[in-house]
Amino acid sequence: MIEAKDVSVDIAGKPIVSGVDFHARPGEIAAIVGPNGSGKTTFLKALSGELAYTGRVALNGRDLSTMKPVEVAVHRAVLPQATTLSFPFTVREVVKLGLVGGRSGVLPGEDARLPERALARVDLDGFAGRFYQELSGGEQQRVQLARVLCQVWAPVLDGKPRFLFLDEPVSSLDIKHQLIIMNIARDFARRGGGVVAILHDLNLTAMYADRIFVMHRGRLAATGSPRDVLSDDLIEKVFDCRLRVGVLPAGNMPFVLPQSAA
Amino acid sequence: MVDQSIAGPVMASVSEGDRSGRARIVILLLCLGLAAAIFLSLTSGASDASAVNVIGDWLFGTVPDDAAVSARDSLIVYDIRLPRIILGMLVGAALAVSGAVMQGLFRNPLADPGLIGVSGGSSLGAVAVIVLGATILAPVTVLLGTLALPLAAFCGGLATTLVLYQVATRRGQTSVATMLLAGIALAALAMALTGILIFMADDRQLRDLTFWQLGSLGGATWAKIASVGPIIVLALAAMPFLARGLNALALGEATAGHLGIPVQRLKYTAIVGVSAAVGASVAVSGGIGFVGIVVPHLLRLLIGPDNRYLLPASALLGASLLLLADAVARTIVAPAELPIGIVTAIAGAPFFLWILLRKRGVVDL
Repeated sequence: MIEAKDVSVDIAGKPIVSGVDFHARPGEIAAIVGPNGSGKTTFLKALSGELAYTGRVALNGRDLSTMKPVEVAVHRAVLPQATTLSFPFTVREVVKLGLVGGRSGVLPGEDARLPERALARVDLDGFAGRFYQELSGGEQQRVQLARVLCQVWAPVLDGKPRFLFLDEPVSSLDIKHQLIIMNIARDFARRGGGVVAILHDLNLTAMYADRIFVMHRGRLAATGSPRDVLSDDLIEKVFDCRLRVGVLPAGNMPFVLPQSAA
Repeated sequence: MVDQSIAGPVMASVSEGDRSGRARIVILLLCLGLAAAIFLSLTSGASDASAVNVIGDWLFGTVPDDAAVSARDSLIVYDIRLPRIILGMLVGAALAVSGAVMQGLFRNPLADPGLIGVSGGSSLGAVAVIVLGATILAPVTVLLGTLALPLAAFCGGLATTLVLYQVATRRGQTSVATMLLAGIALAALAMALTGILIFMADDRQLRDLTFWQLGSLGGATWAKIASVGPIIVLALAAMPFLARGLNALALGEATAGHLGIPVQRLKYTAIVGVSAAVGASVAVSGGIGFVGIVVPHLLRLLIGPDNRYLLPASALLGASLLLLADAVARTIVAPAELPIGIVTAIAGAPFFLWILLRKRGVVDL
C-alpha cells in the first residue's frame, strides 16, 4: 500500500505539484493521467524518493523519507520515460542490473536465469546478446522494463506487496507491445503487487486502470474508477479539448480501439 | 545476488550477452602479461646487470669467481630496478583504475584524471610542498614527514575533483562539454599557480621540478614506496567495492538510486579514492598522462564495461603498460633516460584522437 498525503514539490522556487493526495493498493493499477506539464512525472519522482517533497508518503506503512535507498528498492521498482546508457552494455548486462539489490524474490539459484525470463516476458527473446545502444527506442524501453521486472520479480515479498512505478511505459511502443506491457502490469497486480502508471492513452487507461488520478496544473483534478472519472466535462476542463466519451466516429471512418484485442 | 559460480560455469558460458567468462580469461592473460613485463623490466636497463644471475645467486649461492660483479648486479636489481618496478606497477594500476572509476562516475568514457585537471591539482599540491616545504609550509612538512608530499597532492586532487563535479553535474546528469571545459580551466589555473611557485623556486628545486613535471619513475626508492604504497594499495583495495554501484550509475543517478544504490555515498567514496590514488601517484612520479583513458577504453572493447571485471583488469594492464613504457624510457636514449610522461603522451595522445574520431557522432559534445 502506498499512501501520499498533501504532497507538494517545488522546483527552483516554483510549485510543480501542490497538495496531492494519492494511494495505490495491491492488486490494482493506479493510472495517473493529465496534460503535458501537469506535474505527473514530478509527482512520481517524489513518490519514488528521487525528489524532495513536503507532505507524507508511506510505503507499506513506513515513512518514505526515513527509508534508505536499498530498503526502498525492495518495495518498488521504477521505469523512467527513457534511459540512455553511457557505455556499451549488452541487453543481458542491462537487465541483470535489476538484480543489483539482490531481492528479486526468486530462489537464489534462479537469479542467473531471470534476465532471459524477463526478456521473454517483454517479447525480446533472443535479444540478450545485442548491444543496448543498437536497439530502437521502443526496444530499449522494453529492455528497461525487463530490468525493472527483475528487481521485483515476485509481486509479494515477505508478505508485503511490491510496486511497479511506470512513467509512460507504452508511449514509444507499437500497439501489440502496448498490450503486452499493459498485460504484464495487470498480471503483476493480479498476483498481489501494485502498479502506478503514468499514461497518456485514455483508451488504454480506461481498459486497464482500476483507479484514475487526473492531474491538472500540479493539483489533483479528479480521482475514481474510469467510469466515474472519464467524462466530457472533465476532459474539456483538464485537457482543454472538446471531446465526447463513448461516441463513435460518423460515417464509415475507421477506428481501432485496444479494447477490441482478441 | 548469487554469484554465478553456483549456477555453474557451463551455463554462464552459453548465456548470450554474458561476457563474464571472457572477462575472466582476459584477466588471467593480463596476469601473465604483467609477469612478463616484470621480467622484462628486471632484465633490461642501461646496465647489463642480469636479474637472472641475481636470482640464480639468491637461489643457489654466489659463484665465487665474480663476486664483485654479483654484488654490483645485486645492488642494481634490488635497490634500483626492483623499487622502480614496484613503484611503476603501483602508479600504473592507480592511474588506470582511477581513470575507469572517473569514467564511471562522470558516465563518460572521456573522463581522465590527467585530462580534466585532477592531476594538475595534485601537481600544484606537490609543488607547493617541494618549494615551500622549507619556509611557509615548514610546520606541515615537519609534522607529516615523508607523507607531506602525497597528502598535499591528494588534497590538490580532491579539491579539483570536487569543484569539477559541482560545476559539470546538474541533477545527476554530467555535461561532457562542461566537464572538459571546466577541466581545462581548472588545469590552467593549477598550472598558473604552479608557475608562480616555480618562479619562486631555487635552481636545484627547479631542475627537480621540471623533470618531475614531465613524469618520471626515476629516483624510485624503497622509502618512496613506503610513503605512497599504502595509500595507493588502500585506494585500489576500496575500488572493487564501488564496481556494482558504478555499473548501476551507467543508467543515470536517479535509476541507480531506484535500484537501491546509495548514490551520494558512492560518489564521494569514488572521488576521495580517485583523489588519493592520483595524488599519491603524482607525488612520486609527476604527470604521467593518458594511462587512465587508454587502458579502460581498450579493456571495454575487449570485455565490456562491467566494472567488476574492468577495474581489476585496468589495474593489471595499467601496471604492465607503465612498466613497458618505463622500459622504453630507460633504454631508448641509454645511458640517459627519457621522462616516462613523454613516452605515454606520444603513445597515448594519438590513441585519444582515435577514440574521438571513432566516437564522433556518438558522443554528444
